[in-house]
Amino acid sequence: MSLASQVSAVVRMNVKSIGQRFWPSLSTVVAVMLVVLVLLSFLAMANGFQQTIRGAGRDDVAIVLRAGATTELNSGLSRDQVRLLGEGPGVAHDANGDALLSPELFVIADGKKKATGLKANLPLRGIGAAGAGLRDNLKIAEGRMFASGSNELVVGRGVQREFENFDLGSKVTLGKSQWVVVGIFETGGSVFESELWADLPVVQSLFNRTAAVQTVRAKLDGPDGLQKFKDYATNDPRLKLDVLSETQYFSDQASQTSGLIQYLGWPLAIAMAFGALAGALNTMYSAVLSRTREIATLRAIGYGGFPAFVGTLVESLVLAAVGGCIGALAAWIFFDGLSATTLGASFTQVVFKFEMSPKLVEQGLVLGMAIGLIGGLLPAFRAARVPIIAGLAER
Amino acid sequence: MSDFKLVWKNLMRRKLRTFLMLFATLIAFAIFGVLSAFNNAFSGDQAAAIDRLVVVNKINFTQPLPVSYPARIKQIEGVKQLSYANWFGGYYPEPKNQLVVFAVDHTTYLDVYDDAITVDAATRKNFMTDKTSAIVGRAMADKFGWKVGDRVPMNSNIFSQKSGARVWDLTIAGIFDKKKENQDTNFMFFRYDYFDETRSFGKDTIGWMMLNLTSSSLADKVAKQIDETFANSPYETQTDTEKAFNKAFVAQFGNIALIVTLVVGAAFITILMIVGNTMAMAVRERTREIGVMKSLGFPGARILKMVLGESLLLAALGGLLGLGLATLAIGGMKQAAGNFVPGLAMTGDIMVFGIALIVALGVLTGIVPAMSAMRMSIISALGRT
Repeated sequence: MSLASQVSAVVRMNVKSIGQRFWPSLSTVVAVMLVVLVLLSFLAMANGFQQTIRGAGRDDVAIVLRAGATTELNSGLSRDQVRLLGEGPGVAHDANGDALLSPELFVIADGKKKATGLKANLPLRGIGAAGAGLRDNLKIAEGRMFASGSNELVVGRGVQREFENFDLGSKVTLGKSQWVVVGIFETGGSVFESELWADLPVVQSLFNRTAAVQTVRAKLDGPDGLQKFKDYATNDPRLKLDVLSETQYFSDQASQTSGLIQYLGWPLAIAMAFGALAGALNTMYSAVLSRTREIATLRAIGYGGFPAFVGTLVESLVLAAVGGCIGALAAWIFFDGLSATTLGASFTQVVFKFEMSPKLVEQGLVLGMAIGLIGGLLPAFRAARVPIIAGLAER
Repeated sequence: MSDFKLVWKNLMRRKLRTFLMLFATLIAFAIFGVLSAFNNAFSGDQAAAIDRLVVVNKINFTQPLPVSYPARIKQIEGVKQLSYANWFGGYYPEPKNQLVVFAVDHTTYLDVYDDAITVDAATRKNFMTDKTSAIVGRAMADKFGWKVGDRVPMNSNIFSQKSGARVWDLTIAGIFDKKKENQDTNFMFFRYDYFDETRSFGKDTIGWMMLNLTSSSLADKVAKQIDETFANSPYETQTDTEKAFNKAFVAQFGNIALIVTLVVGAAFITILMIVGNTMAMAVRERTREIGVMKSLGFPGARILKMVLGESLLLAALGGLLGLGLATLAIGGMKQAAGNFVPGLAMTGDIMVFGIALIVALGVLTGIVPAMSAMRMSIISALGRT
């Protein structure tokens, strides 16, 4: 009998007999499943958050902040600076010759989360006339855009989904002022969907911020536009501002929080994996033990130690694979697309969705199979070394 | 041979198996301990005084209030002490390294937080006399090696001075210590009067007020009265207890308690499966022995107790080691994550809950095999091969 057929015979025998040790085998499957599920839930959370923030940035839009400000909330620009920025090089112009520039005021207002009924920070963004045109994939999904000079709001899809009373036609009180929701907008799931937009001058006057803006967004006129505009805004003594591409700005913001979630997810999953490994080892050792006689018999009729080794290892890997696949599937079913909110870098709520991807599933399965591999390896060595005589004597 | 010794011998019969069970249990309890400590720290309950109120702008707590408000609120009956503060947005020395820095009313701040933090007389005196002075928390001072009299250039990512500089030179008046176990000391505060007269914008506004009451039963009444006083003014207020305020703030990060519960739940289901199975297996292996013990006159109840004792001992060993490991880990993380999660600590509550979990785990994993061992008839036990 060739080694290959010996191996395949033992593997088939082992795998078919898994059912006889149903409960211990199930405990390994469940342990691996839970490890994979926990890991993937955290990774999907980090991934979804990152996609939401990163997806918002455009390469051909520059964002101008006060020097040293790391977020829009901390930034502030004067009216003169806004005017000077509009005259800067590198900025694109529309058909009428007006600079494609949106001065924006970013104020925080309270909204009530549907899930908890607690107040949470919502960003209300006053945008300039060119503001909407600077956002990618902007679509007014319901209703219409706000009319300039009115106390009308358009609400991001995420806000409408997660917060109370932001449906089309709702009357909303933000601070002292009354607003009417006239539209719901979507930007392909990006962070802008966590915002409320209104006309800049109206926000300025209703929030006692006359003439104040926090940031300026500018459409760039070409690939070298950013550098020209940046040189101008950093060097002019009246400006001395920070300029960066929107892509850069958002990827800086995304990395902090999603990094944090990943730093939490991996150690937890690895700690749980060690627990599951102990379980897997135990299951496999007991499987080898219960099969001592069988292995010794095979050895007595001429089988080598190697088939016993492979058989045990494969059994363990099969259990881990089943657990890993169920875990990944469950993560995909339960967590993919799950809507959640957290506090973003600008101190406001970011609405995002958990996002699974094949790459994440791969990471989960690798961890699961690692448990199966290590959990099978040591017992497999023991199986390979079952002494024939003593093994046959085993009851 | 005492029963305990028998239990111990049984447990140690297969050392590798017992070790693996202990290890799995240890991991689950370590996860439980660490996550519970984080959850506690995040919920921020311990540090908040129940009868302290926080007054913020009704629009949102990041919006300013006029500096004239404190004097008006002090008139309200039931207000014992009141202070106010402004967020500074400090970083030192690099923008990446953000610090918690407040500009506070120096005449009242220390009194309002008298239950939470303490300073010596010299520090208090320095703070009152030197306008540019600051008081630093013990944890922050240790981190940067700051001593009394040091001059610290503190940057702001929000404010600038009238000169255009974004740096305030502060002199350390002293260091404050915590009075309560979970009070965070990784922050500092300096004088609002100095801050307000040097900053280039936002003059005569404050961030929020905090006040102590003459009696905690007045909380609702005083809060209502404050908010009514400023209703329909350009700056309306929102008054909450410090506890409610903290809770709402933490909830903004997400449902941390739910995440902790789910992860700890997953870890415990895992060990329930693993340890429960193993106990059943161990008892099955011992069937003959149990038959022999019964025929020697061991009553069923005693057998039950011995099997339960074994699972409880296993849970206790693994669980206590796990809780111990969690305590060590929390100690280590305090250094690394103290900035993020102030008040991270292993508390008595967590320990008590952990011990309850140990008992539950021991009983749950042992009860089925113990019952079957108790009910086993001698004939079938000895007959089984």
